[in-house]
Amino acid sequence: MQILKNSNFRALSKIAGMKPEEVIELVKKSGLSGRGGANFPTGLKLEFTRSSQGEKYVIANADEGEPGTFKDKLILEKNPNNVIEGMIIAGYAIGSSKGYLYLRGEYSYLKNKLQKVINNAKKIADKLKIYFDIEIISGAGAYICGDETAIIESVEGKRGNPRLKPPFPANQGLFNKPTLINNVETLANLPLIILDKSWNNSFRLFSLSGNITKPGVYELESGASLKKLINLGKPKNKIKAVYFGCSGGCLPYEDIALNNEAVKEKGAMLGSCAIIAVDEKHNIVDVATNIAKFFEYESCGKCTPCREGTMRVLELLEKISLKKAANEDLELLEELCRVINETSLCGLGQSSTAHITTALKYFRKEFTDKLK
Amino acid sequence: MSFRDIDEIIKERKDNFLLPMLQAIQAKFGYVSETNAHYLSRKTGIPFSKIYGVITFYEMLYTEKKGKYIIRICNSPSCYLNCSLNLIKFLESSLKIKSGETTKNKKFSLEIVSCIGCCDKAPAMIINNKVYGNLDENKIKKIISGLK
Amino acid sequence: MKITINNKEIECQPNKTILEVAKENDIEIPTLCYQEGFEARAVCRICLVEVDNKLLPSCSTKAKEGMVISTESKKVLEARKINTELLMSKHIQSCFVESKEHELCKIAKNVGIRQAKFDSNKKTYIVDKGIAIVTDNNQCILCGRCVQACQMQNVNAIDFAYRSYHTKVTPAYENKLDDSVCVNCGQCLLACPVNAIYEKDDTKEVLKALKSKKHVIVQTAPAVRASLGEEFDLPAGTLVTGKMVSSLRKIGFKKIFDTQFGADLTIMEEAAELIKRLKENKNLPMITSCCPAWIKYIEHFYPEFLNHVSTCKSPHDMFGAIAKSYYKDKYKINKKDLVVVSVMPCTAKKFEIQRKEMKKEVDYVLTTRELARLIKIKKIDFNNLADEDFDAALGLSSGAGTIFGASGGVMEAALRTAYETATGKKLEMLEFNQIRGMSDFKEGSIIINGKTVNFAVVNGLHNAKEVLEQIKNKECKYDFIEVMACPGGCIAGGGQPIPTNKEIVEKRMQALYINDKNNTIRRSHENPAIIQLYEEFLGRPLSKKAEKLLHTNYIKRGI
Repeated sequence: MQILKNSNFRALSKIAGMKPEEVIELVKKSGLSGRGGANFPTGLKLEFTRSSQGEKYVIANADEGEPGTFKDKLILEKNPNNVIEGMIIAGYAIGSSKGYLYLRGEYSYLKNKLQKVINNAKKIADKLKIYFDIEIISGAGAYICGDETAIIESVEGKRGNPRLKPPFPANQGLFNKPTLINNVETLANLPLIILDKSWNNSFRLFSLSGNITKPGVYELESGASLKKLINLGKPKNKIKAVYFGCSGGCLPYEDIALNNEAVKEKGAMLGSCAIIAVDEKHNIVDVATNIAKFFEYESCGKCTPCREGTMRVLELLEKISLKKAANEDLELLEELCRVINETSLCGLGQSSTAHITTALKYFRKEFTDKLK
Repeated sequence: MSFRDIDEIIKERKDNFLLPMLQAIQAKFGYVSETNAHYLSRKTGIPFSKIYGVITFYEMLYTEKKGKYIIRICNSPSCYLNCSLNLIKFLESSLKIKSGETTKNKKFSLEIVSCIGCCDKAPAMIINNKVYGNLDENKIKKIISGLK
Repeated sequence: MKITINNKEIECQPNKTILEVAKENDIEIPTLCYQEGFEARAVCRICLVEVDNKLLPSCSTKAKEGMVISTESKKVLEARKINTELLMSKHIQSCFVESKEHELCKIAKNVGIRQAKFDSNKKTYIVDKGIAIVTDNNQCILCGRCVQACQMQNVNAIDFAYRSYHTKVTPAYENKLDDSVCVNCGQCLLACPVNAIYEKDDTKEVLKALKSKKHVIVQTAPAVRASLGEEFDLPAGTLVTGKMVSSLRKIGFKKIFDTQFGADLTIMEEAAELIKRLKENKNLPMITSCCPAWIKYIEHFYPEFLNHVSTCKSPHDMFGAIAKSYYKDKYKINKKDLVVVSVMPCTAKKFEIQRKEMKKEVDYVLTTRELARLIKIKKIDFNNLADEDFDAALGLSSGAGTIFGASGGVMEAALRTAYETATGKKLEMLEFNQIRGMSDFKEGSIIINGKTVNFAVVNGLHNAKEVLEQIKNKECKYDFIEVMACPGGCIAGGGQPIPTNKEIVEKRMQALYINDKNNTIRRSHENPAIIQLYEEFLGRPLSKKAEKLLHTNYIKRGI
């Protein structure tokens, strides 16, 4: 895998002889975009943060929490050097000397190993007169802290409630100072871009899981066929649907290209490239209920539609599961889903109903069969 | 009650970062008691109500004593599709507690949690920072009986 | 710049929110979690507007050049209705009904909700019945206005806890409010749009006392007369002193007295105390002690500076002490038969009378809102009452006593008396305009017997904190400081009619200053009833008797 090529801090020596602007230019040219799911051009983000005034921070988002996603864990386990080196490169590019690696609580077992890498990196960077401190902050079990502004609140010692945007972190982030927040995979690519002219921007890490016998992280080119990926996973039974994590929605299993555009055209979101395969033994209403439980539990509770809505969505789905619901309940569910999507404060709430809207689009019969 | 440990924790965090301080207190005592949280508030000036709000927001911080082993079993889709519900039922019946509860002898606490990033080993659980994957009833039985 | 709202082109200034622009142009957008003077949290999702096919909260979205906004498109109305439904189902339906409908009910009515779509809340909470303040999480919709108000006061007794729909507002570790650092100022209660927080009701107890054979007397604080009319739909700032007195008589109180008498008495004692401290150069700056929320605040957060606080009891407690000694003896009333009721703009006074130091000098405190309820229970046609006067002696007061109700009033009243009693000269100008008005930090100086006395007036506890920090850092240049916990003083107290906002508070304030101006007696030391009280009973300010009855001490509470 390209992402597992250990750069071994060689990129640091290279950037030591470059101007920060040159580093940013290189990243911009590479076409790298955020691999956490939002796909924002990384070079631009670096540039925005660099142009903001005052003390600045870098935050590595290692709060990989989207169900079905475990690619960042793989990188942190197998190639932590690149992640740390990527943070230092990002710090150098924007003019920051302090970084935090926000590691999700569930990955705490990686902490000691990462700390060693940080200590080693510090020595190497210091020799190159690149001064950058990194501290690991452990999360404590909250999916919402994968949201960039919720991470900031969490590092500041608050409840992980997302902030209103604007202002964006590039202008006012941690302690209201300009802050660059990037996902682990994005950062791990930075040293490769600096070192390797043949670095390929089209590789994506797909986390494949669900009703398959060979789950794991597969590196494929963006636009690869879904069928190819599923076959790599060697399903035992016939696959009927795929879910793009919990927040990307679902599609019936047919051969489509795995890129943002193709998936979006069908009504779902590729997001962080998590693919959860569901075989025909499972009922979609049951899966929907399971996912609804996830959102009900993980809502931060700040805004009305998400806090109250996710709870009511679950209530309605349970009612349908128990065959106690009528057609008007289904209509209410759809209306509710629309309002939660359109009026929630942050991405969690907004995307919490995609799995239902897409399920109702493609598997409506499974719902109506359960109406009384 | 000695607060020397907490004084030490506060001294180490000159930046007054709350989350790491709470985690350190929990690492020492197993949970963040009202007395300790109150002491932390008095010493740092962080409002008591805010400290409580932060502890209760995060699933892995506790205001009450938990079991020696905290079993966190995942029930997100990948594990759910691989029959995690049966395993949860199995754990509940063999430990004789429901999710969210602690056994009388304070040995085990059971929690149903969101995705722990082990979808490639589904169904999976974490017990005190150690991951156990590809679970079935027999495997769980062995793991539990191996915990002293 | 130009924007379009509901097909109408509007000229507006840059850097304003859509809500602000709409308001300036009389376009109504319903709001719930938004409160003026605070950062918009934008969480209730009621004030939605449609821009480019997207729904945005108008309270936090800045208007931009050329923006085309709809405040009542189909999309807006549908979403607003669902979000209101969700909140209504969170909020218990059979809610405690104040004299006026609360904000959520109004919104629900406006969006056309007749019957709730969702079942009522699955969780039930125990109602926390405090000495002064009751909190009912069954009605809370988590808008966060109370939390903001408490943070603004620098008290932070409550905050959000838990997450998802388990989120609740609570003191730490589910403690009762009374066991927290809450100072009972009641700003949270004024902020609450659904009456999930309200004062502890004492009307039933008072009615019971009135029905008994006991001698029940009542005193009313200055701020009550400037706001009570609002409960009967009179415009803010209407002085209803006469109607208030006559309604109290109709309710059945034996004597209707005025806390302003107590205020004059406070001034006599406090001015003497100030002059003494200035002379001895001890425990300066001296800080006022009329506000029980402020007292509890310093007891919790800055107990090391309690020696700076005046030892004077608050005016209504001074009144109570005189009622239960001088008045009781003079009219030969049996001690156990005398019941003293205070009508106050304040929730903290309910706490204050239960302090051990106060020895039950006042039996019950009713807020302005509770008095209005009492008048309504008794079916008194308030607006058509003829004006009546307070009862003699303890009902007589000066204009100086009146202005106690507004921030800066205690300072002004004290300076009038301190200056004139210390110098023996008359003040040429009685009004101290530099310490009047809504500004939250006011200062000035006066020369008394060749010595410059610097004074400051602060309202809102975050400003009190600032002054205390100055004292802590030995940077405080003041000799005398007035502190009121509520922004604007007692007229914005936690016991006042809802809504209490800046505009309304300013009107109430003006009414008090007009009342002072129209009074023939404007100096506490010229109040003949006060002069008589000292002659017949107390001797002189700070006499042994006065110290015993009218002064108090404080507790180091800590946090």
